[in-house]
Amino acid sequence: MELLIKSTIEKLSTTGITFADVRITVTDSEGIYFQDGNLRSFGSSMDSQAIGIRVLINGCWGFAGSRQVKANHIDRLIARAIDNARHGSRFVNKPVTFDPLPATISEFHHRPEIDPFRMDKAEKLDYLGKLAQTIKPKDQIVFSSVSASFVRQEKFYANTEGTYTHFSCYNTDPSMRVVSSDGAKIQERSWPGDMSAGRGGFELFYQHAFESNTGRIIKEATDLLSAPVIEDEKADIIIGNSQLALQLHESVGHATEADRIFGMEISYAGKTFIKPAMLGKYQYGSEIVNIYSDSTDPAAMGQQPVDDEGVPAGRTDIIKDGILVNQQTSRQIAKLLGLEPSSNMKASYADDFPLIRMTNFCLAPGRGTLADLIADTEYGYLVDYTKTWSIDDNRNNFQFTTEIGWKIVNGKITGIVKEPTYYGITKDFWNACDRICGPEEWTYRGTFFCGKGEPGQAMQLSHGVAPARFRNINVKVNI
Amino acid sequence: MKEMMYYAHQALKPHQELKYVIYGQFWQTDFLRFYHSQTNYNISKECLSLGISLYKGKKSYSFNIDNPDQAAFDAALANAMALIDSLPEDPDFVDVEDDLRKAPEAPRINNIEAVPLATKTAILSRLTDVVKLHNFELYGTFICNHTISHLINSNGLDKESAGSPIYFEVKAVHNESQITVLETFGGEDFNRFDEADFTHRLLRKIAYCANDVVDVEPGEYTVIFAPRCVAELAQYLAYGMTAWSLDQHRSYFEGKTGEQVFPELVTITDDPNDPDVILFDYNGEGHLYQKLDLIDRGVFKHFMCNKYYSYKTGLENNGNSANCLVVKGGSEDLESMISGIERGLYVSSLHYVNFINPKETSVTGLTRDGTFLIENGRITKVVNSLRFTDKIVRIFQNIAALENKSFTTPFSQNYDQFGIEAVKSPHAKVLGFNITSSTKTI
Repeated sequence: MELLIKSTIEKLSTTGITFADVRITVTDSEGIYFQDGNLRSFGSSMDSQAIGIRVLINGCWGFAGSRQVKANHIDRLIARAIDNARHGSRFVNKPVTFDPLPATISEFHHRPEIDPFRMDKAEKLDYLGKLAQTIKPKDQIVFSSVSASFVRQEKFYANTEGTYTHFSCYNTDPSMRVVSSDGAKIQERSWPGDMSAGRGGFELFYQHAFESNTGRIIKEATDLLSAPVIEDEKADIIIGNSQLALQLHESVGHATEADRIFGMEISYAGKTFIKPAMLGKYQYGSEIVNIYSDSTDPAAMGQQPVDDEGVPAGRTDIIKDGILVNQQTSRQIAKLLGLEPSSNMKASYADDFPLIRMTNFCLAPGRGTLADLIADTEYGYLVDYTKTWSIDDNRNNFQFTTEIGWKIVNGKITGIVKEPTYYGITKDFWNACDRICGPEEWTYRGTFFCGKGEPGQAMQLSHGVAPARFRNINVKVNI
Repeated sequence: MKEMMYYAHQALKPHQELKYVIYGQFWQTDFLRFYHSQTNYNISKECLSLGISLYKGKKSYSFNIDNPDQAAFDAALANAMALIDSLPEDPDFVDVEDDLRKAPEAPRINNIEAVPLATKTAILSRLTDVVKLHNFELYGTFICNHTISHLINSNGLDKESAGSPIYFEVKAVHNESQITVLETFGGEDFNRFDEADFTHRLLRKIAYCANDVVDVEPGEYTVIFAPRCVAELAQYLAYGMTAWSLDQHRSYFEGKTGEQVFPELVTITDDPNDPDVILFDYNGEGHLYQKLDLIDRGVFKHFMCNKYYSYKTGLENNGNSANCLVVKGGSEDLESMISGIERGLYVSSLHYVNFINPKETSVTGLTRDGTFLIENGRITKVVNSLRFTDKIVRIFQNIAALENKSFTTPFSQNYDQFGIEAVKSPHAKVLGFNITSSTKTI
């Protein structure tokens, strides 16, 4: 692959092409799904190769991607990418430009503790099958599932500035879910919640303690059938890590993708309420809110040696002491904003066009445990495990419903509530954050399914979070 | 691809103990994305893939090979055969699809060749010139796909189909206020694209944007939903009409077959014969795609069901999967629907709609790309995008009128080797739509 990618870059290093890069990915994936205690599907796609060739000509990007990674196919792809750029440049009024970067040569290979592709298949299926049997329908549980997705991806990248990198990693998405019914209504509980994926292999099942949480989700799903809803108009809420990762993702992560400022995502994902003039001044959150993008930490799925346009990995403060100080950028957008590129350009596979994507997008920890925070709360709710999420196309108005909430009175949990729903405006919400738990509660949570772009790409990324409290939040929605 | 399909078929045929499905697909897209009335990027992508599902008794395993060759297939098959005996059973699996009927052959064009990039950019250049007179710029996508699919299975199915859908979506965004309106074209026959009419419809919406921008209070409103919204709401409604959701106890329609669930003016079909939707010859398992009544004059008629869930639920295997939804038009023209509203909203598009509880069909979501205030029977102001929280079934129960004209809205699935489908629907007048907050932004 190294020879192929380097020979392709040589062909692209010609007059008339301002910049070019080539990526090759080799991806193995495996999915296992048990439903109601039975193995419903088990499938794999091994050695799936893809190539993408991106060229900048006359200030316009052209791209050609294919799953046929063969030397005799490359010239046709190059011609197609060049043709796309040349024709597209006839409909361009502001050409794409960016500053050159020095060449980076890097290599990094992540190894999981338990390689899901090499471990004994019988052992793997036996473990998942036992989980599935434990939570299969019984009494008021009417549906259950256990699923595992394993991905191993190797990536080669080269560009006309001399950058070359070779990288590989393993990511895993483990999940289980039960649905309860009283004959008329249903409720559900999942584990470890929607943000269940992470960097690693089969060990993620053990890290998330699946076996010791089967009884918990069955009981909670059953109890939710007769639980009350929140009746308060407003309340203090503590958000647990599973839901807070999504809150961070939707209301800060996507909002600070700077391609949205320039309208590049209007046609699908949307815009952002953020304007360039806000940088360095805008009070995005309270002064305890510190948020950063970090593609250097190999413990989570956003790590990479360089991004998909040759920018070395880095850590960038996005919100510092509550003030918006930076953005997630591409090289083109960074130049438009007068910033350094933040190493956030990524594509899911080599035959996808790179976009500004979150990597490891994190809320820095504060102090204390979750137990301390509950004890410090006079009246409110602890909410967690995402059920419904929705945010407007400016990333300003959000509404979330979680699977379960716990009522807190005088620093103690007094019972559960079903489908707790809260909503707000992004700036007001993050400014209402008055406490964030400490490093002992801080964990990475991640997803395989962050959708963006056209053609759409589902990105694997992570969020570092610790439970946090938000004061006087709207919790009443009349349906 | 054909050679690989028959190679796989010959390799599997001697295994009398197996049932199997071989699915091959050659997929291409030419994808122009534009912003600020200029090219953002042009993408060409292609993928040749082979998917194999093997069943031995009630045990199954599947594998996919991109860019397949005989050596890769042989290795993957050997791996699958070594594994399958050790797998647990799925007691609900009985058989693979056995519908041997074939769709009538029809000539299909490849729109990647028929609508080249030069044609796309020429249309966009002309539209740009028109909207810039109003200080608007264009954002959107112009997609042409081309797919050849081939399915062979152990029950004797050997079916090929081809498709080449077009998806053209234009958002016109005001350079200062960011007020946005959109217009779309979808289908397989680009000769049906009427550029003059498309431009006229876009400009009529742009004219609404000259009005002031206001906010409205949460509460229940009489709403005119654009055909695009009706299409999307119908898709959410159809979720509960699948045997899959019934099996998972998530369907609102459980136990309601034959019941009057909506007013008589509501009729919804899944109809591949309608010339305005994008044609599907077969579902993903090779079952012939045919018209199915879902809601007939307000009465719930059928769940959509495939072979697997037919065995599991006892429902008829009709092979439908809501790819060709048609919401039947009514009797009123749009102007008279609007003119009867003292104070209400016109909603052009929906955004980020998500179920809160699928069984109850409760959802939350937002309006987008043109929300307008209706006062005394006419559109008077632009409204910030709004959040709603409501039940899909309540929305359909509250339909008071449907327009006497229908429009086709394409939806691009967008991910991986994505497909494009279309829904045909009219404007709808809905009473008591529950707005729960404002975004305070356009």
